Amino acid sequence: MHDLPQQLANGLILGAMYGLIAIGYTMVYGIVQLINFAHGEIFMIGGFGALTAWLLLPSGTSIALALPLMLLLGMACSVLVGMGAERFAYRPLRGGPRLAPLITAIGLSIALQQAIWAFYPDAKKARPFPQFGGDPIDLGAFSIQRGELFLITAAPLCMIVLALFVSKSRTGRAMQATSQDPDTAKLMGINTDRIIVTAFAIGAAFAAIAAIAHGLKYGQVDFKMGFIAGLKAFTAAVLGGIGNIYGAMIGGLVLGFTEAMATAYIEYIPGMELFGGGAWKDVWAFVLLILVLLLRPQGLLGERVTDRA
Amino acid sequence: MTTTHPTATAPARPGPAPTPGTLPLPAGTARAVTTAGAVLTLAATFLPWTWTRAFPGNLTVTGYPGGLQVLTLTGALLVLLFLASGHGVRGLRWLTPGGTTAPLVLLTAGTFATTWYAAGAISVTLGGVVNLEPGAWIATAGSLLALAGALGLPADTPAGTDGPSGTGAPAIQRLRHSLQAPAPRPARALPDWAEILLIAGAFAVVLYVFTYGIATEYGELFVGFLLLTGCAAPALAKAGLIRRVSRLTARHRNVSIAAAFVAAAAFPFLQSDNQFTSIAANILIFATVALGLNVVVGLAGLLDLGYVAFLGVGAYTAALVSGSPYSSVGLKFPFWAAVLTGALASLIFGVLIGAPTLRLRGDYLAIVTLGFGEIFRIGMQNLDGISGPAVTNGSTGIPQIPDLEILGFNFGETHSFLGFDFTRSANYFWLMLFFTVIVVSVFRRSDSSRIGRAWVAIREDETAARAMGINAFRFKLIAFALGATLAGLAGTVQAHAVSSIDPEQYKFVEAVPPNSAFLLAAVILGGMGTVGGPLIGAALLFLIPAKLQFIGEYQLLLFGVALVLLMRFRPEGLVADRRKQLEFHETGQLDVPDAKALAPVDGNGNGTTGGPDGPNDPGTTGPGKAEG
Repeated sequence: MHDLPQQLANGLILGAMYGLIAIGYTMVYGIVQLINFAHGEIFMIGGFGALTAWLLLPSGTSIALALPLMLLLGMACSVLVGMGAERFAYRPLRGGPRLAPLITAIGLSIALQQAIWAFYPDAKKARPFPQFGGDPIDLGAFSIQRGELFLITAAPLCMIVLALFVSKSRTGRAMQATSQDPDTAKLMGINTDRIIVTAFAIGAAFAAIAAIAHGLKYGQVDFKMGFIAGLKAFTAAVLGGIGNIYGAMIGGLVLGFTEAMATAYIEYIPGMELFGGGAWKDVWAFVLLILVLLLRPQGLLGERVTDRA
Repeated sequence: MTTTHPTATAPARPGPAPTPGTLPLPAGTARAVTTAGAVLTLAATFLPWTWTRAFPGNLTVTGYPGGLQVLTLTGALLVLLFLASGHGVRGLRWLTPGGTTAPLVLLTAGTFATTWYAAGAISVTLGGVVNLEPGAWIATAGSLLALAGALGLPADTPAGTDGPSGTGAPAIQRLRHSLQAPAPRPARALPDWAEILLIAGAFAVVLYVFTYGIATEYGELFVGFLLLTGCAAPALAKAGLIRRVSRLTARHRNVSIAAAFVAAAAFPFLQSDNQFTSIAANILIFATVALGLNVVVGLAGLLDLGYVAFLGVGAYTAALVSGSPYSSVGLKFPFWAAVLTGALASLIFGVLIGAPTLRLRGDYLAIVTLGFGEIFRIGMQNLDGISGPAVTNGSTGIPQIPDLEILGFNFGETHSFLGFDFTRSANYFWLMLFFTVIVVSVFRRSDSSRIGRAWVAIREDETAARAMGINAFRFKLIAFALGATLAGLAGTVQAHAVSSIDPEQYKFVEAVPPNSAFLLAAVILGGMGTVGGPLIGAALLFLIPAKLQFIGEYQLLLFGVALVLLMRFRPEGLVADRRKQLEFHETGQLDVPDAKALAPVDGNGNGTTGGPDGPNDPGTTGPGKAEG
């Protein structure tokens, strides 16, 4: 247990990233009860958008200077795709059988992934993402990579902004109202269509931020990266209680910690020597999801989700 | 046939003026133009279409149609036959018990599409329209003429059933209207033996068409085949023939089911080429698994996105106890025991995954199964002795799975019988067919049982079903576990048929079926809750990528886009279950399916083969099985 602080830090960073993606799932789910499987791909597209911005800049630009522009373009791409998906794929199916939008979401997810694979230059394999140079910052008990600093600042900032937006702004409160009861909200004069688009847009923007963090952390973006990340983020959303925005972040952190702990320490449990290490971390995340569904299906923060179907 | 329809049920219908076709032509002229066009097209297929044999299929011979010309010839012949039938020619009127114009529009469109596609393909392949011989020009002109003529024919149904459709209505509205067809008039009673003969004939036709599709040797021919059948199948539906056949099969259900399987079993007899038998065996594996998934998705309405993992569980279990030298378990079970073990292993996983998840809303199941599919693959990869315990050889998988030997019959060897040679693929084809029969009967029995009705109730409204005293969780778990077991069953055969398994075969999405996404797509494309649907869907999803190599790397992209468009425009699939059709095209009224509510669905111009009794309709069942 010598490197526990380091593992905790790793878990925190990983968890913050999952949490950021999970917000997209949870907001959309809270309002339209739809699992947007394509969210993982929206995340991935944000990463490629940011990479595009970097490639458009003259070579030699400092990454710190480029970052705002990368954020902007990444978010723009994600938001555009997210809103487009809502408008042209999901909206026509609203009010129909529940299976239809789920299948659309799958098709969309495959199509987006393949579109990047086929049309983005050299995207058939992972593309390198710009890096902050320099040594890891040593904080005594543990150290963090410079690239991870971005996430450590961005994630809390995003959460505060989002919390303020949802609780204080007019649109945010309309969003809460819609998620509680869409029909009544409509009767109260809320344009629910606009609220739904807004939820998709906010989720996509956060996913783009997470994608840049992902790129900075791992040094590459990959057309496949949305699949597992999306799955994990959904797990995080369920962990925290789906539909609950704060829950998504907390769920992300719990999932991140679990993964870090499982990767580092499971092999020390007698009888589990062979199940440690990075190869099994996805399996443990999945086991955690099953356990949560078994023991506390409403999630850590969630109230019992009433069936509105 | 200027004012009344000679073949309509009630010729004395107090004649509203005939609804004009899409093009403003007098009825007589329109018929003459169609006939002339079809004859011209027909004649042109006997002329050379191009000068060189560089284009596949040899279209250079005078007097001997080849390749795509045969398709055009078939299309033109069908047009002429239906034209004659619509005109009331004695002996042919049985062809159009329903509509006459709608099938003609569709058939001429199919011929037109095939011919123009052929001409286009020749020009593109050989570089320019100069490569077209006069025959091709005549054929393209003729097919265009026929289509124009058919569009000028008066519509089958009177105006006003679906909004404006008179002369002043927009062309698209009139086109939609002329694609509507009335229900077929009741058939004359025939002796039993004649009806059974008719059923056999219908299955023979389906088998022949399917065999032709599998045996198409180059992509162009397959595209032409798809274009023509894609138009001809709905044309037959509009003409009322499919409804007729499904009534016959409903009356002789057992005979029809037997006939379907005889037709399917006859497939290896028609194929001398082992390659095509092997394709057919793979399609059958894919289709059987899709049918198992249909229990879960179509009947119980549970979205299972990791279904291929259950196939994998069955396959891995069977491979481990197969006696393969690479298996970590040194056991060799007899086949029946291996099948039971595989099915049991899948069942256990199904319950493990289903029990925690099915208590919750349906969406959770989708994501948990998606996760399970991925975890299964990762797990199999890790159990290689390095990252985890040594069980599955990791990414190498388990190769050299021995061929089955049941009662002294070795499946790996070529057997001769009645002068035919039956290869390894044919042996596995028949074994798989046996399992398909099991899955089909499980599907049908459960669909029409108390359990099946409970599934429908839960699918439609879980809260209401619970209020009626249905234990929703238990029935959902039964559906999920049953689906898992069926997949495991198929997996045990698959392991032996492919003789080498590895984790990469069981992915969520990949270019090669079966994978979870393709399985789901086969169910959706074919039609949820039907037997024929998944079989047709699986055949299409298997053949399209295999035949159309030129799609190449865009295959999955097109697949994704197609899935989205399918959900948007025809969510009930090709073979529509009546219940699903109503569900997807909500009319905003209570569940009283009156004629008007159904009309727009029938009028889409799609192949609505579903008979009056939807999922239990062997008309949709039978031809589908023959597809396998």
